[in-house]
Amino acid sequence: MTGLGAAALRLCRELGGMLVLAGSVLRALVPPRLDRRELAKNLHKMGNRSVPIVVLTAFFAGALMMLQSGPFVKKLGATSLAGWGAGYAVLREIGPILIALMFSGRVGANTTAELATMTVTEQLDGLRALAIDPIRYLIVPRVLSMIAMLAVLTVIGDAVAIGGAAVVGRLMLDIEWSTLFHSFADNLEPADFLHGVWKSLAFGGAIAIASCYFGVSVRGGTVGVGRAVNAAVVASAVSILVLDFFVTYVSAP
Amino acid sequence: MSALVLTHVTKRYGTRLVLDDISLELARGARLGLIGPAASGKSVLLKLVAGLEQPDAGTITVLGDTITRPHVREVDLGELRKRIGMLFQSYALFDFLDVAGNVAFPLEQRGGIPAAEIAERVAARLRAVGLAGSERKLVGELSGGMKKRTGIARATVADAELVLYDEPTAGLDPVTTQKIYDLLAADQQRTGASVLAVSSDVAALAELVDEIAFLYRGKIVYRGPARSIRDAPDPLVRQFVRGELDGPLTEAIG
Ligand SMILES: Nc1ncnc2c1ncn2[C@@H]1O[C@H](COP(=O)(O)OP(=O)(O)OP(=O)(O)O)[C@@H](O)[C@H]1O
Ligand SMILES: [Mg+2]
Repeated sequence: MTGLGAAALRLCRELGGMLVLAGSVLRALVPPRLDRRELAKNLHKMGNRSVPIVVLTAFFAGALMMLQSGPFVKKLGATSLAGWGAGYAVLREIGPILIALMFSGRVGANTTAELATMTVTEQLDGLRALAIDPIRYLIVPRVLSMIAMLAVLTVIGDAVAIGGAAVVGRLMLDIEWSTLFHSFADNLEPADFLHGVWKSLAFGGAIAIASCYFGVSVRGGTVGVGRAVNAAVVASAVSILVLDFFVTYVSAP
Repeated sequence: MSALVLTHVTKRYGTRLVLDDISLELARGARLGLIGPAASGKSVLLKLVAGLEQPDAGTITVLGDTITRPHVREVDLGELRKRIGMLFQSYALFDFLDVAGNVAFPLEQRGGIPAAEIAERVAARLRAVGLAGSERKLVGELSGGMKKRTGIARATVADAELVLYDEPTAGLDPVTTQKIYDLLAADQQRTGASVLAVSSDVAALAELVDEIAFLYRGKIVYRGPARSIRDAPDPLVRQFVRGELDGPLTEAIG
């Protein structure tokens, strides 16, 4: 019972800490005085270098969706809907969630480890002593990069996943390219695509705040760095799923 | 006006009382050394002065500005910190930058200094601390002494009105130690900065500062001229400075 109470208290403290950090990030955005070098470095590190892994996972995710749904579609003779099933799931759910989880594992964890190491080696105090606000200098560029890059990667992932679905449809299920194309183009709407992009923006924000928060609030020297990464990855995954539920619920037709 | 005034400053970590009702004043241009046993709170005191930590009680005024809450928020400290130079005991070097990048950082962030002038000042500083030729090395590739010297170069590259040095020469060989102290003394002569320096090397410290204060069990128990610190009237200080095993200090530490 006391264990449960303590856990609830800790959860509240950490949620509170994340909200405070999010508030400071927003405050640091006006006026938007950004260190361009930090921003460019992070955009490159978080975005460009994530493309291969996103392409790989998205391709197979799309292919799988088609592999699972294709045989039924064919049995029912509804090949004109073959792309719709896979595309709908990819754009609205599978794409954003899968890529956000990959992103949190790769970029979020990396960010937490980096910030936590900097914190325990007093580099954040070093910045403050030189009159540099660590929020503005380190956190804001990382948060902006994560939000922007996850959205971009999600768009790329969507396209690749649909490509993967089409390849399976053509090569393994023997559906014509033109049929596949029409089943995507005629049945999917921009709203399906935008729904996924909105989600990815929310996920990007959650991953960014969680990974930065656990990075800068690390306790207990280098041993704490591992713990911080752990906590950040768990918090990101949980918030991705919780946010997904609420965004879907709110925007349900 | 004073460079530094601490009034009734108390600092706790958990239940441990690190600084216990400390009052201290440093005149403009004065040079004070701070000594004391391990974990007596010397580094904590420097961090309080730099505004990196807040005391639990008491007020701190640096170069005329009160930096303790509730008078001040973190964002208000920026301008003041540009007038303070600080060397961390742990160096606090930025590992995302190389040696030259670290030393250039305070100047670059200040804005308005031409790149050529920054490069020149950085090169001069690195020569002065004996690091010419190591400009492009990353922090992870440096020895302990090289890190320390990079830290010193970064802390002194922009002339400050108040400098805080935490163990400027710990871990350096005797010749380098002498060189660093000569450099710090020359800087001080040139800029007239006020100095608060923590060091375990009391003999070398005594050449840099005019006075030495002894921090013990959370209090400043002695403050007197640096030259005669070995013959200080307080037996605690005498024993500490001379490194003698028998005396009140050993009995107290246990
Ligand atoms: N951030 C912190 N959290 C908890 N305790 C701390 C923290 N910083 C310092 N302390 C404690 O405060 C005490 C004084 O630490 P400080 O670093 O000031 O010692 P010091 O006099 O500089 O020692 P040394 O000569 O070994 O550098 C120590 O007991 C230390 O454990
Ligand atoms: Mg110390």
